[in-house]
Amino acid sequence: MLTYFARRLLTLIPMVIVISFLIYLGLELTPGDAVSHMVPPDALSMMDEERLQALRESLGLGKPFIVRYWIWITGVMQGEFGYSLAGGVPISKIFLDRLPATLELSFAALLISTVLGSILGTISALTRGSLTDQSLTVVGMLGVSIPEFFFGLVAILVFALNLNWFPVGGRILPGYDSFWDRLPHLVMPAMVLSIMMTAGVMRYARSSMLDALSRDFIRTARSKGMPEWRVNILHGFRVALTPVIVLIGFRLPVLIGGSVIIEQVFQWPGIGKEFVSAVRSQDYPLVMMVALFSVLAVLIASLIVDLLTAIIDPRVRLGE
Amino acid sequence: MNKLLTMNKLLTTSAAALIAVCGTAGAWAQSINESELSDPRVRQAIAYAIDMETIAETLFEGAAIPAVGLTSDPANYPKGMNTYSYNPERARELLAEAGWDGSRTLDMVYYYPDQLTADFMAVVQAQLADVGIDMTYRLLEGDVGAQITGRPDDPVNGPSVVEWDMLYGARAAIANQEYFNRFAEGQMPMIPTVEEMLPLVEQVNGTVDPAVQRAGYQQMEGIINENVYILPLYYQQLYIFESDRISRNGAPYGNEQYSYNSDVINWTVEPNEDGERVAYTNAAPMQFFELPWQNLGIWVHSRYAFDTILEADGSLTPIGGELAESYEVSEDGLTLSFTMKEGLKWHDGSDLTAEDVVWSIETAALAPIVQPLVATTIGSIEGADAYKAGEADSISGISVDGRTVTLTFATIDPNMLMSFAQFAPLPKAYLEGVDPLQIQQHEFWQKPVGSGPFMIEEARMNEFTTLVPFPDYHRGVAKIDRIIALPSADGDANLIRNAAAFRADFGYTKNATDVPALEEMEHMNVTAVNIPYTRMFWINQFPRE
Repeated sequence: MLTYFARRLLTLIPMVIVISFLIYLGLELTPGDAVSHMVPPDALSMMDEERLQALRESLGLGKPFIVRYWIWITGVMQGEFGYSLAGGVPISKIFLDRLPATLELSFAALLISTVLGSILGTISALTRGSLTDQSLTVVGMLGVSIPEFFFGLVAILVFALNLNWFPVGGRILPGYDSFWDRLPHLVMPAMVLSIMMTAGVMRYARSSMLDALSRDFIRTARSKGMPEWRVNILHGFRVALTPVIVLIGFRLPVLIGGSVIIEQVFQWPGIGKEFVSAVRSQDYPLVMMVALFSVLAVLIASLIVDLLTAIIDPRVRLGE
Repeated sequence: MNKLLTMNKLLTTSAAALIAVCGTAGAWAQSINESELSDPRVRQAIAYAIDMETIAETLFEGAAIPAVGLTSDPANYPKGMNTYSYNPERARELLAEAGWDGSRTLDMVYYYPDQLTADFMAVVQAQLADVGIDMTYRLLEGDVGAQITGRPDDPVNGPSVVEWDMLYGARAAIANQEYFNRFAEGQMPMIPTVEEMLPLVEQVNGTVDPAVQRAGYQQMEGIINENVYILPLYYQQLYIFESDRISRNGAPYGNEQYSYNSDVINWTVEPNEDGERVAYTNAAPMQFFELPWQNLGIWVHSRYAFDTILEADGSLTPIGGELAESYEVSEDGLTLSFTMKEGLKWHDGSDLTAEDVVWSIETAALAPIVQPLVATTIGSIEGADAYKAGEADSISGISVDGRTVTLTFATIDPNMLMSFAQFAPLPKAYLEGVDPLQIQQHEFWQKPVGSGPFMIEEARMNEFTTLVPFPDYHRGVAKIDRIIALPSADGDANLIRNAAAFRADFGYTKNATDVPALEEMEHMNVTAVNIPYTRMFWINQFPRE
């Protein structure tokens, strides 16, 4: 397994380089650059070209594309993530400031959706065809099909503005610092972010559980006179869990990406909000680092899923 | 009966002909190049075809004032300015006279990504279609600046360097000259040189005499109005909102986008349950504090953490000194000297000196993004050109004598007082040696040290910024204990939610759709302020390739 793990890790390097090059190329092909976004159009029409060009040069935007990519990728490999073009802030600082907020939100959403989704999916499978099953299926469909921002706006209207249960947005207020101070701010965005994934996990867990319950080993377990709950939980649920874990593993990076919209709606100061702003302002060093982070998150999640699958399901043999 | 009808027809035809002649007087209905849009009758037809009164009342819900001239001050208009009131019949007549055959579809572009603008485009499209002008519209994406700027090689025949027929945009100005200066020869990407405008542009820029300037504005407004070189649509207002917790205690309202004396140190706010007088606002930074030389007043720190050398009132008219205790302009208008107040301090307790002021002016001369009016003023100082070209180590027109800074100008700058009423010096000690081109990228802008009535206490980018009163402020200590500013740029998308949640005690918006929502909140008050901000159509009068 160690050899497999090392080999998979090594294959990440060329994949990351190719993907990062493609993203860099995509940014290059986008019209405009950081400078054209720094100056509002109204003011831009009154600025002379020499000034703009001088600014471009000072930010290193005057060099050819391939040279800029080379400087960037070699810098990253040496641990130099560069600076945001807009404000000169080290990207490492931006990550340190923003990533904890995004991870906090994503993990909270992941936890909620995993627990809720698995439980509800299992209940749905065990009560197949009943009113409960049908109701949960409908709720699951709604959760998957209605966009998160809509849930977010409704949640703000109902729970923040009308009932006044939770703050309208943000992560914390001045003078407060602990996790418990942040918790009221976390509840609504985490719940909203988890809705779609809960629905997804629930549907997946249901079909996976139904599949597991129809297997021979379940019948064997029942024929041995095992209590129904042991058959369902120890035998059925464990096997049903494998595809669900794959889904959850792949959803974590997606969650981080998905938090972009939720961060906007709830004024959550995470990396997603920063990413949107960086893309708008063509702040390519920052865009590249966030993109690189997402790519790595997906690749590493896929590796971890493989490892977990092998641990949970003895039939899986890695590297064979 | 027949005679009567014939008489009537004759009269109507004569009247129409008379109106047509009057309406096109001076232009005499000629294209000046291959573009149909270079024919003033076509542009006048566009003006008549748009029912701006109705659009302002309905689409903009009254939050727009239909425009007559580029500037909103009627004193700048000559007698008989054409208001181009909605008249589709007249538009059709003018198009017929101009030989408009309807085969050309105009390409309208805009750069505001909001829904209201898209709706406005749809209305204009329908109204133009009604008179026989087909128009499509699209939002400019990517490098907007490059798509709306440029100078044709031939300033009369083009060809056009921009790839559109009409541009919906705005001119926000603090000085009237800013509306007209681009008429200087060869500076407009869409309007061929208008010879009669050239001496007038020089006239309004070459004097500090308001009467001479006024005469120039009147003539230029008249020329533009008659020929519809630019079509002013409406004047945008600015809306100051305040919660019922806060009181300005009689301080004036003004153009919040710039620095003016709002007497913030005397504002009061109801104490919270802990007895602390905390006021919420928006306009805190998201990644860094913007240099206060760019957007002069839109950020909370630009207004309250930095003081300017001179001071303006709410209409941005200079009224005296802020950091300066006095100033003096020579009779020929070529020398400005100001004496800084004694004992001025930066927020870190160090002395704010004339040396800081000189360093700031010289740095601003080289900084890439400085508000155009301020940049023009600094560029007019004697020796500024040589300094910018790297031929001198300092600007020769600046001298210091104790607390007095004297600026000698190479050419008259009619707005020098206005510029220095917007110009905030920075502490040299923190930024000396920084490449001016990269001054914004310096770490200083993570928590800047200023000179204003409030100093930055804590800055968590993208979360909040807190400001507390500066105990050594030269005008006394502010009465509000703490300002909590939430992050947002101009056009705050979260404004309504924050206001509804009592997290916005004061601030402003230019977004007309925010106004009804704010007014509906029992605890919010909204005050409309007239600002020099004109939305307009630029019509590309060069032939397109």
